Amino acid sequence: MSSPKCKDPIALNLWYAIAPLEEVLDGKVERSILLEQPIAFTREPSGQIAVWSHDGDGARPVGASLPVQERYGYFWTTLGTPDADIFAIPEYDEPDRRNIHAASFGVNASAPRLVENFLDMGHFPYVHTDILGAEPHTEVKEYFVERSDERDEILATNCKFWQPMASRASSGGADVDYIYRVPHPYCSVLYKSAAIDPARMDAIAIFIQPITQESVRVHMMLSLLDDTSTDLDIRLFQQTIFGQDKPILENQYPKRLPLDPRAETPIRADKSAIVYRRWLSDKGITYGVIPAAA
Amino acid sequence: MATDLQNTWHPIAASTDLVKRHVYQAQLLGREYAVWRADDGYVNIWENRCLHRGVRLSIGINDGRELKCQYHGWRYANRTAGCTYIPAHPADAPARTICNNTYPVAEASGLVWCGEHATGDLPDMSGFESVTALRGLPVNAPRDMVIEALGAYAFADGCSAQTDEHGVVTVTAADGQAVRFFVQPSDSNLSVIRGVLNQALDGAERIAALRHHNFLLDVLRSQVEARAAELETPEPMTPPIAKVSADLAEIPPEQEGGRTAELRVQVVDKTVTAEGIVSLRLEAIKGQLPTFQPGAHIDVHLQNGMVRQYSLTNGPGETDHYTIGVKREPDSRGGSVAIHDSLAVGDVLAVSAPHNNFPLRRDALHTVFVAGGIGVTPLLAMARALNSQGLSFEFHYFVQSHAHAAFRREMGEFGDALTLHKGLSPEDTGAKLRDILASPGHARHLYICGPGPMLEATRGIAADLGWSDEAVHFEYFKNTKEVDDTNSFQIELARSALSLNVPAGKTILEVLRENGINMESSCEQGACGTCRVGVIEGEVIHQDVYLNDAEKSAGKSIMTCVSRAASDRLILDI
Amino acid sequence: MIKLYDYELSGNCYKLRLLMSFLGLEYQTEAIDFYPGNQHKSDAFRRINPLGQLPVIDDDGLVLRDAQAILIYLASKYDPNGKWYPRDDAALLGQMAQWMAFADGITATSSAARLHDGLFYSSIDIDAARAGAHRLFRILDEHLFFAEEAGQDWICPGDHPTVADIACFPYVILSEEGGISRMTYPAIRRWCDRFKRIPGFIVMSGVFPAGPGFTDAAGVAA
Repeated sequence: MSSPKCKDPIALNLWYAIAPLEEVLDGKVERSILLEQPIAFTREPSGQIAVWSHDGDGARPVGASLPVQERYGYFWTTLGTPDADIFAIPEYDEPDRRNIHAASFGVNASAPRLVENFLDMGHFPYVHTDILGAEPHTEVKEYFVERSDERDEILATNCKFWQPMASRASSGGADVDYIYRVPHPYCSVLYKSAAIDPARMDAIAIFIQPITQESVRVHMMLSLLDDTSTDLDIRLFQQTIFGQDKPILENQYPKRLPLDPRAETPIRADKSAIVYRRWLSDKGITYGVIPAAA
Repeated sequence: MATDLQNTWHPIAASTDLVKRHVYQAQLLGREYAVWRADDGYVNIWENRCLHRGVRLSIGINDGRELKCQYHGWRYANRTAGCTYIPAHPADAPARTICNNTYPVAEASGLVWCGEHATGDLPDMSGFESVTALRGLPVNAPRDMVIEALGAYAFADGCSAQTDEHGVVTVTAADGQAVRFFVQPSDSNLSVIRGVLNQALDGAERIAALRHHNFLLDVLRSQVEARAAELETPEPMTPPIAKVSADLAEIPPEQEGGRTAELRVQVVDKTVTAEGIVSLRLEAIKGQLPTFQPGAHIDVHLQNGMVRQYSLTNGPGETDHYTIGVKREPDSRGGSVAIHDSLAVGDVLAVSAPHNNFPLRRDALHTVFVAGGIGVTPLLAMARALNSQGLSFEFHYFVQSHAHAAFRREMGEFGDALTLHKGLSPEDTGAKLRDILASPGHARHLYICGPGPMLEATRGIAADLGWSDEAVHFEYFKNTKEVDDTNSFQIELARSALSLNVPAGKTILEVLRENGINMESSCEQGACGTCRVGVIEGEVIHQDVYLNDAEKSAGKSIMTCVSRAASDRLILDI
Repeated sequence: MIKLYDYELSGNCYKLRLLMSFLGLEYQTEAIDFYPGNQHKSDAFRRINPLGQLPVIDDDGLVLRDAQAILIYLASKYDPNGKWYPRDDAALLGQMAQWMAFADGITATSSAARLHDGLFYSSIDIDAARAGAHRLFRILDEHLFFAEEAGQDWICPGDHPTVADIACFPYVILSEEGGISRMTYPAIRRWCDRFKRIPGFIVMSGVFPAGPGFTDAAGVAA
């Protein structure tokens, strides 16, 4: 591999989900792009997944493979040498959960803009009208955000938002509880009151694969406590929701997330986004962002 | 050249492009604009980026008075571009300084003109006093290349072209017909040809002329684009992204400023709107009036030196003037009498920018307004905002008689939501209020403004009937309580680490100001809420009428103009 | 009852949902796992539509494919006022057919670009798709500009929108998902606003509603 186009050492040394396992087929070579670097992958006769970078022709150089891990229904790789393992989602292994790959979508937006939108509740009544929110129930109530240096992740708790069809059991609206995690600069996991068991929560994750600084593939994984919906219903619901976010994401300017505190106007509801921007700044991430001037 | 282009006017649309309730998307020198015409005809040219999260405003909604961002529903006012409502925090008044970036605008010769830093005159249009604007034609080519090609444009016999030093091309035919072209530099490789004919055409003649030029320009475009495609495409322009003001970058915004009167307004209309009540229309002498939100008031500095607070009655989008209502109160200290008797159309007044200590939530399922007499003014502005958004409300207006009901024309738009209660005795008023307030409920909010006794009665009835403190919002005109200022105590300022003594006879506000702390205030009698400060430690003797009972017993804030410490010291969050 | 084989993110399926909403028709849907499941290419689905494409309707045993064809069928059968597909004017029939064919061109370019960018249809030549869409949008913008000049709000003459407007709308409004800006098409942008204000209009993922239109004091829309 010649020198990488992406010059951000932190981004290069992260793990990235590339494709759902069921889409890696025996002997079939598929191509993708990670941080502007063309890559290709296949499943070998042994059942192992092989991934390699190439110069655009897809050809596999002898003996040069990228690291591979299988996690959360996807295979993950890296262009560098990660000093940390892929973050944990303990719920994924709980036996009574259904783990579903909803879709991978291409979006002409930067990865951090997607993460911020994923953390945001204030847009529910306007972008996910009558599904995740509805006017006039627009208030974002106070919630807590903490940044754990030990686990190197952001956690927003005690989040509540009014949802018109809060659960299958009730016909009316009610507050729904959310918890958000940002365990990776380009990945996030949200937890949401589960319909069938108020004591437990459904998990929805986005794993973002940056193609360039301003375009991505986003992989969406759900880990649900749900024994009635079909996989197809669940997938289509998630696609509908993400399809509503897409035109917002693609109409944000600048596309890269500005880390200068004076670039945009935060309000209290944006606490988690403010902490996320500071976290990226402190890490020294430069890919997909406009760094604050020193 | 680029700098010159930024300082001059360019057409960015035809007037006919800006239909009502539409947001037009434009670009000039690489910067995108959201352009929208309000129902009052005013053309707004704003940067195409909501300052909250950068979403293009050209995908937002023009409701005729305000532009609503599609992402979080933030609303921005006609003319000022100031934010009037943030739905995520319905109980708060947005900082007045949250404002989108606006650019110079002019409308002339059938075109809408803009320039990043345009000052000075629009281009000379002599010979083009009456015009027909052609269909704007976008061309994927640099501006200079398009200007050069227009030099060979011929639409009739004997055409000759002249290009001036600004790149304006005028093509004149033998019979005197002429067309003048301005080439809008959208981006390094995108231009728009905007032409005007030197005659106003209509009907079939107009359409024929528009088609004729459209066809010829389309041919010209093909040639220019073919030529441009052979060259290397220039990099897109990257206009600098302006930063928001420092106070908006952190939350919450800091409070600054004392009792100021930074605006000069002229009385342009003075009308008797009801018995004993005049309405005053105030317009800025120079520039634009600041953004207001429903519920806001201004301090009016009268010619006799008095300062009085009056609520704005304006509906959303009415941003070219403020309208206030003033009741003649012969028994009071003379402010209203001065306005009624001495103030005349044409007079100039000093007023403050709007303060909003009576914010309107718009997340209620239903809102009940109870107005008594002149207390109608802030509630009028609120109900007009809800009405404009199609939100559910009812408006009860208690007056002595029909002749005492002010602003009837403005309230006409409320239809059945308005009920006028005329000439009720205090007992009958109480009974009526019990009817009105019979069903408190989830997400129902009550706003009250009127004379002290009525306000007290309404609050009492609401509390009796089960309305929670959080759902009841009120504003007193004045504080009629006797203020006791006989004790002395210490205040400690947590953020500035100052310790000060407040002696008997002085207010906390006065002591703070004497020590160089710039505090904002307005009524200075415990009614308006402007000088509110957070309390970290210590007990408070509340002597204001602004805080509700729950807020008073919580003891987390104090009105520094009247209230005092019950303990030896207070630690304040300033 | 009419059954629509449907996929929420499909602009071609949206055309039919729009018309049925405008007409107030009740219908049921059968969701097809278009992406990532490719169910429309399955053997079972090819028995319903050998072309392996959405949308398809089944109206009491009549199985029809192709969005434009289904629009004509539904408007002819279920529009009691005959406004969406007037059949008594030869010129208008020709114009509607012309713009329905034009809509196929929009699908072949703008929709293709969207599939490329959003769903990784890597065999599509993205530059050609975008250039093709811009060529069509220039023609449509010019057409709509002169329609406005003639006092016409819609693609075909008359005071009511037709199936031609429905056929063109989805992949115009979704064009930005394929990297095709509509900034230089102001007449198209105004037409999109008018279209969104047709009574009964519904959105799909990726499409925002319009605000209320302007009416003057006498209640007349301007």
